[in-house]
Amino acid sequence: MTVSDRQRSLQSSMHDMGLTEEAIERRKRIVGLEPADLGRIAAVKDVVARGAEEFMATFFEFLSKLDEARPLVTSHGLLDRARQLKKAHLAAMVQGEYGTRYVEQRLELAQLYARAGLEMLVFLGAFHHLLRAIGSAIMKQFERSPMEGFENFMSLQKVAFFDIGIIVDVLVMERERTIRQQEEAIRELSTPVLQVRDRMLLLPIIGVIDTHRARLITESLLRAIRANRAKVVVMDVTGVATIDSKVANHLLQTVTAARLMGALVIVTGLSSEVAQSLVALGIELSKINTVGDLQGGLEEAERVLGYRLLRNGDALPPPTMTEN
Amino acid sequence: MSAEIRVPIEHERDIVTARQRGRELAAANGFSSTDQTLVALAISEIARNIVSYAKRGEVMLLALEETGRRGIVVIARDEGPGIADPELAMKDGYSTAKSLGVGLPGAKRVMDEFKLETQLGKGTTVTMKKWVR
Repeated sequence: MTVSDRQRSLQSSMHDMGLTEEAIERRKRIVGLEPADLGRIAAVKDVVARGAEEFMATFFEFLSKLDEARPLVTSHGLLDRARQLKKAHLAAMVQGEYGTRYVEQRLELAQLYARAGLEMLVFLGAFHHLLRAIGSAIMKQFERSPMEGFENFMSLQKVAFFDIGIIVDVLVMERERTIRQQEEAIRELSTPVLQVRDRMLLLPIIGVIDTHRARLITESLLRAIRANRAKVVVMDVTGVATIDSKVANHLLQTVTAARLMGALVIVTGLSSEVAQSLVALGIELSKINTVGDLQGGLEEAERVLGYRLLRNGDALPPPTMTEN
Repeated sequence: MSAEIRVPIEHERDIVTARQRGRELAAANGFSSTDQTLVALAISEIARNIVSYAKRGEVMLLALEETGRRGIVVIARDEGPGIADPELAMKDGYSTAKSLGVGLPGAKRVMDEFKLETQLGKGTTVTMKKWVR
């Protein structure tokens, strides 16, 4: 990624997270960061700058001892960049400027943690150690006026909590993004069309049908009808809890499209609740062939295709004429 | 009275969240399994209208208790374009969006009370109640 690409992606992340200038000011107010703090932070600027290397080492040493942080500390690309950003962070923390630019830097580091799969708990542990190291250095510097040293440190701590707020938000957001992607993947996988016999397909539908999934179901079914030269499809909706008008419409269209391709669709497993919903909505389903349960549906499909099921040892009945 | 549940509606997945919350609330308040499904259905229909026509809005769910009977109220609010002809919109088979046109009248049929307030350019509020049978 070039520098300008990175900049653009950071800006779009800032936008996604709603980190406008107003939002940043609000975050400062929440941690209590006031103009009076800036003077106290300036008073410890030199101490922090002098110890920057050491503080950074504390942070990464803590991480290197934890199994959970292995992906970060074993990837040289990530680790080098993290060190670079952490060093910049320590310098920026005491500059007194906590605006858009500062937040962008926090965001970049947080996204790197997220990429490395760093858990929140692990990050907080490392950050705690870093703060403690800074705190000790400050207290040493203000040995003769510990109250002043403490106040200065507390002002710096406000900045630290401002930072934590952003990092935590990014880690949570990344996790939600992962969950959404997984949901998407499950949806894609969850519309199998199975061949039961020659020219006979089974389409079990389980869970929530939304319009996206309904479209996927239609597409994969029509493709399978063509590929298998199917004549009968059993669509089982036992696992569907709610069918609203939009989903019903999609199912109707699927059935119609399948019929145009020469396949008969038998719908099975409509629960009593779903049946009542469809009646209440006044949806016209008389054009659809429904059979109570999946077993009945499969038997009906076999009958339509002219199959007869015999138990081993049963005498062969005389052949009958089938509809086909 | 228990606290209200608010579900912001913007994407299709919010419709699913809203109706799941509605089903849970109905179950917790003693609705039968069929009535839970009907409540979920009504929520699904009006939340779908928000996504289709107003882009975003909110569904509010609340348990009710009055003169010895229990029920739930569903309030769906949006600041969308409003409905030009509310009477026509409540008719079966009428739709401006090539859908089945059964959403609003269907929701009205499955609930006990139904009120549609709409103002062009200002938005729409649907208030529906259902009592435990």
